Amino acid sequence: MAELGRAALVLTFGLVVYAVVAGVYAARAKRRRLARSAQNALLAAFVSTAVAAGVLWAAFARKDFSFTYVASHSALKLPLPYRLSAFWGGQEGSLLLWLLILTGFSAAAVLLDRRATRDLLAWVTPVLGGVAVFFAFMLVFVASPFGTQTAPADGAGLNPSLQNPYMLAHPPMLYLGYVGLTIPWAFGMGALLSGRTDERWIVATRRWTLAAWMFLGIGQLLGSHWAYVEVGWGGYYAWDPVENAALMPWLAATAFLHSVMIQEKRGMLRVWNMLLVILAFGLSLFGTFLTRSGVINSIHSFTQSSIGPWFLGFIGVVVGFSLALVFWRLPLLRSKTKLESLVSREATFLYNNLLLVALTLTILWGVTFPILSEAVRGTAITVSKPYYNFFLRSFGLPLLLLMGIGPLVPWRRASLRSLERTFIWPLGFAVAAGIVVIAFGGGSSKIGLITYTFAAFVTASIALEFVRGTRARHALTGGSWVVAFGGLVARNRRRYGGYVVHAAIVLLAVGIAGSSLYQTVREQKLQRGQSMTVAGYTLAYRSFQTKKGPNSTESRALLAVSRGKSSLGTLDPGKNFYPVEQQTSNEVAIRSNYATGEDLYVIADQIDADGSVYFKVLVKPAVNLIWLAGVVFVLGSVIALWPDAREERRLAERYGTAGAAVRA
Amino acid sequence: MARKRSPARLVIALSVAAVLAVFLLYTSIAGGGTPSLSPSTIAGHTGRVSLAGAVVGPLTGDAHQGGLHFLVKDISGKDGATTAVVYTGSVPDLFKVGSHIVVDGTLRNGTFVSVPGSLVTKCPSKYTPKKS
Amino acid sequence: MTLALVLAAVLAVCLVLFVARPFLREPEAADDALETPGEEELRRLALAEERDRALQALRELEFDHRTGKVSDADYRSLVGPLRRTAAEALRALDAGRDGSTGGEHAPDGP
Repeated sequence: MAELGRAALVLTFGLVVYAVVAGVYAARAKRRRLARSAQNALLAAFVSTAVAAGVLWAAFARKDFSFTYVASHSALKLPLPYRLSAFWGGQEGSLLLWLLILTGFSAAAVLLDRRATRDLLAWVTPVLGGVAVFFAFMLVFVASPFGTQTAPADGAGLNPSLQNPYMLAHPPMLYLGYVGLTIPWAFGMGALLSGRTDERWIVATRRWTLAAWMFLGIGQLLGSHWAYVEVGWGGYYAWDPVENAALMPWLAATAFLHSVMIQEKRGMLRVWNMLLVILAFGLSLFGTFLTRSGVINSIHSFTQSSIGPWFLGFIGVVVGFSLALVFWRLPLLRSKTKLESLVSREATFLYNNLLLVALTLTILWGVTFPILSEAVRGTAITVSKPYYNFFLRSFGLPLLLLMGIGPLVPWRRASLRSLERTFIWPLGFAVAAGIVVIAFGGGSSKIGLITYTFAAFVTASIALEFVRGTRARHALTGGSWVVAFGGLVARNRRRYGGYVVHAAIVLLAVGIAGSSLYQTVREQKLQRGQSMTVAGYTLAYRSFQTKKGPNSTESRALLAVSRGKSSLGTLDPGKNFYPVEQQTSNEVAIRSNYATGEDLYVIADQIDADGSVYFKVLVKPAVNLIWLAGVVFVLGSVIALWPDAREERRLAERYGTAGAAVRA
Repeated sequence: MARKRSPARLVIALSVAAVLAVFLLYTSIAGGGTPSLSPSTIAGHTGRVSLAGAVVGPLTGDAHQGGLHFLVKDISGKDGATTAVVYTGSVPDLFKVGSHIVVDGTLRNGTFVSVPGSLVTKCPSKYTPKKS
Repeated sequence: MTLALVLAAVLAVCLVLFVARPFLREPEAADDALETPGEEELRRLALAEERDRALQALRELEFDHRTGKVSDADYRSLVGPLRRTAAEALRALDAGRDGSTGGEHAPDGP
């Protein structure tokens, strides 16, 4: 069956090459049937890629170790879900996943936009095909997942710490995000190629960008959560290059999401938006490259791989081609509208963009610095947490503040007098919150105090938006307040969904600040019977037990947790030893206080022969707000994504009548 | 609105200048990053550096008391160069003879003295071949 | 092995047929020209976008005024020019529509 997989991939390669060649010819010579044929080729490419993917999945499902890839990424004892997710566990499989999602999204884009964007789509098709050509080429000629061998008796295992539900979802979510950013980029390039100066490409890809951005965000949170509970060093983000690889395109996409709103409303920032979408897509490819090529020393570094140079070359081609297109069409892109006032909502969006891009570029600089310094100076110099934290604070805190300022400032221009009125409540709330924080001892960290004050400001600002809007709508339509609220949100899904997402970011900021700036860490060696206190918690080491798990030996230290007089139950941190893989894994014990969001996090760092244990205990305030932020984030994104019939009608009227003769 | 120059350009130019200023300020104060070295390249380096390599046994001592002693060799096995390391702090579970590690510290009298708690092991290849 | 190749061949044939479909359905196409919006159409589009922008800006200004974000004074100074822009865009759009050639039916109003 491997031959079927290989043949299907060769088919895909042929189809996407055709899509590019035929698509370019059809777009230039304006041939309708050929353009349609090229689009069909993209659809067909999805089918053949799906067949190839199906072959590989089936091989995993039936444990066919004659597939080299299956044998090296699964084992007889591996449960089915992890065998299926092993599909993207290795290089070849993850390339196939990229191609599968890319052809799937391309097919969807073609089908959904067929009617209204005929000439735009004629150019988008070969652009999408071009990206697919690269991945198909890699899969057919460089890194095929369908190599065969004489089947060994059993395959290699899967690292036990990766057998975890979070790890099932984390890569696909990230890939949906990475690949999803291809669509807006392709439409942008299509608009440049077809010479269209209108906003069609943005309108057509708005939801794609939002969805991709949402998936990228969820993927990162899943990865962070896994790191927190599984890897267990006490943190959730280490500024590792591979983590940054996903953060950078996400930040660029955030900037893009905001600046397209300006282009829609005022027709400004056209060139900037093109550059941003190129940056976002380029970083997304770069992120895939970083994760898979082993080029940069990273804790996740997979072995130095053969696809690295190819990827780098492809990114160079993509960026070069895109920039050349922008330069060529520069005269067309110049907009007539100018920024009217530095105190306007447009201006706050602009500041937000500048900060986001600045943060993205400093992270990019930090990630590539080792390579660059090695090339220039001979030694690779790495930057770490202090560098990233400095810039996160320098740019992140103003960003947080802007989230609160933006909604309070009207479009075009605002007079300072009217600003006074709208700002007074949120400012007052923020100052009050600051005082409360200091009263509770939060003054120990200045950054923490600033973060919490800003967070309060933003919360008040968002709440006011909802209150004022509901009140205005209620005055208009009457009825109950709930109905007014629902109507308000339903009629402005993007705006209020956006506010919900901002609320999620506030939760994220508070959670990050609390768990890093106000955390308490204590390390102590305890004999059985001894106890230690950390931030008001008392942990008493009661006993030590070892038991046999399904494929491991589990050693656990039992701790009784109490606060003052009241008992808070037990915790059992320890280690698992997997004899087959000859590996030890850290099993941390976490006690979450859902009222305050605080975690008591215990690591059994070292277990000595005499039963005494080195414990590392962290008390992390507000850390659970980070995971809550993920839920709110999804909620807000879904609200913003939700289709709006009235808006669709309006857009159909605007664009649908362009060349409305109906043809097959 | 007859504005000759759009304030947007001014804003962008000022912001770029501000970012550069912040950046230069930081790097001049913090002195940039730490060099990433291996046993074959570390000789002669003073000051804080990052040592990357593969762990060579035997492992003696206690990381929480007195320090864990071990040797580190080049991952690519170049020259057979090794560096003696003494480490204090938390030891990640994946740490054992043969694992690839990165640890920060300073070279003192031929021994690499670590910054406590800075030992990091690379995630191994996800799939370990079965020991036959 | 042969089953795999047979399946692959079947797949290939089906997909190639699908790709060739536009040509198979219309071997002799009277009009094979890909519709691209002409200058007229592009101008209309630009005007339509301007109109929508102006209308939405007006709507948002009203809303901001009602919710108290924009003071009465600011509202008064902003609403005039906005209304004028919207009226101009609507006028230009109607003029373009009336003056356009071709058999396209314009929709009834925005």
